[in-house]
Amino acid sequence: MSEILSFYLNGNPVEVLVKPEQTLLEVLRDDLGLTSPKCGCNHGDCGACTVILDGKAVKSCLVLAPTVKGKKVITADGLCSGEKLHPIQQAFLDYGAPQCGYCTPGMVMAATAFLLENPKPTREEIKEALSGNLCRCAGYDKYVEAVLAVSNGEFGLLPEGSDINV
Amino acid sequence: MRGYFYESPDSFEKLFEVLKDNSREIKFLAGGSDFVPRLNLEREQAPKENKKDLLIINLSELGLNTITENDSEVIIGATTTFTEIQKNDIIKREFPVLIEAINQIAGLSVRNIATIGGNIMNASPAADSVPSLVVLDAVFVLRGPEGSRNVEAKEFFTGPGRTVAKENEVLTHIIIRKNKGFAGFNKLGRRKAETLSVVNAAAYIERENNVCKVARIAVGSVAPTVVRCKEVEELLNGKELTEENIRAASEKVVDEISPIDDIRASAWYRRRVAPVIVRRAIEAAIVE
Repeated sequence: MSEILSFYLNGNPVEVLVKPEQTLLEVLRDDLGLTSPKCGCNHGDCGACTVILDGKAVKSCLVLAPTVKGKKVITADGLCSGEKLHPIQQAFLDYGAPQCGYCTPGMVMAATAFLLENPKPTREEIKEALSGNLCRCAGYDKYVEAVLAVSNGEFGLLPEGSDINV
Repeated sequence: MRGYFYESPDSFEKLFEVLKDNSREIKFLAGGSDFVPRLNLEREQAPKENKKDLLIINLSELGLNTITENDSEVIIGATTTFTEIQKNDIIKREFPVLIEAINQIAGLSVRNIATIGGNIMNASPAADSVPSLVVLDAVFVLRGPEGSRNVEAKEFFTGPGRTVAKENEVLTHIIIRKNKGFAGFNKLGRRKAETLSVVNAAAYIERENNVCKVARIAVGSVAPTVVRCKEVEELLNGKELTEENIRAASEKVVDEISPIDDIRASAWYRRRVAPVIVRRAIEAAIVE
C-alpha cells in the first residue's frame, strides 16, 4: 500500500509515493533519480549508499523509506554550491583518492558528516569513521590523507549553516 | 505475492490498537539495520507465496530513546541508538563497558541508526551488546496489551532469533543496576570494523585486595544464545586474581559452550579461542 512520503532532500521539500517495503536508497535512485548513492551490497556492508540523515551518516540501504518522514536527507548532489565543489570533494579530487569512483559518493558523505562532528580528528579517528566504507581499489590511504588535509584547513573552511547542520 | 504494510504509532494505545488485527505477521522496527537487509533479501530472492502479509510497525515515535538514572539504576530506552549511548554521560560514568562494546559494533554509520533494543530483540547469539548486559544483570522491560513485565537478561534468550517475548510484546526499556564492581568486554572478529563476532565475551568482577568476591562471565557466538559461564565464575570466586588463576578459570569455558561451524569460523577454532577471549574480558574488567 503506497503512501505519500514528504521529507527534505538537499534542502528542498519533496513528496514522493513510496511502498512500505522500499528503502531510502531505492527511493532516492529509482523514484527521485538521484544516482549518487550507489547500491553496492544492499546489505549495509559496503557503505557506497551512505547519505547524511538529520546530520548523521547512515547507509541508505538500511533505512526503510517511510521512516524518513519529515527528516533531512543530504546526498553528494547537495554538497556543492553551484560550480564550486565542497572542500571534501575537492580534496578527494586533488589527492587522487577515487580510482574507479564507485565508493566515492559514500566516502564523501561519511567524511563530511564526520568532520562536522569532529573537525580536528586524528588519523586513527578518520580511519575508524570511514571503516564502514569499502573501497575495492584500496584507495584508503589517499582518502585518509585527503580528509586529514581538509581538517588542517588546506581546502578552506567547511561550509556552515547549510542544510547539513540540522 | 506477499503484501507489506507500515504503521508508525505515536502512543502505546495506538500501537495496541494496531496489534488487534492478527491476520498479518507483525514486525517491530527499531533502527532497521538488521531487519531491512533481510527484507531486501526476501524481496530479491526468497519466494514469498503462502506467507502472511507483513505489517511493519515503527517504534521510533514512542519516545523510547532516552537514558535516565536514579540512585540505584540506569534506564535505557529501547530505541536509543548505539551512537546516542556512546555519547551519553551517564553511561560513560556508570557502564564504560557498554561503550567499549559499542565501539566494536559494526561501524559509525550503522551505529548511527542501530538501536540497543534492536540488538537485543534480534536475539543473535553473536550480538555484541548482550554479553555485557548479561554480566551487568540487566533487566529487560516488555510491554504488551496486558501490561508490563520484567525479565532478567540471562533468562531472556531461548535460541537464535528467539526470546521469551510474545509476538505482541515490545521491549521498552533496559534497566541496569549501578554496581560497585567493574566490567570488561572483548571481541574477536575477522577484521576490526563492520564484522560479526567469532567469539565475544564480557566479565564483571567485584574484588577486595585483589581477591575475587563476585564474578559474572558471559560468552557469545559459541552457543544458541549468549551463555553465563558458571564454571569459570566458580573457579574465580574467592581466588586471588593472578594471571595463573585467571588463565585456569578461563579454560573452563570450553565445557559450557556448543559452537557450530559457520561462515565466520569453525567450531574447532571457536573452542580454541573462547578461553582467550574470556581471559581478555576478565583482564579488561580488572584493569580499571
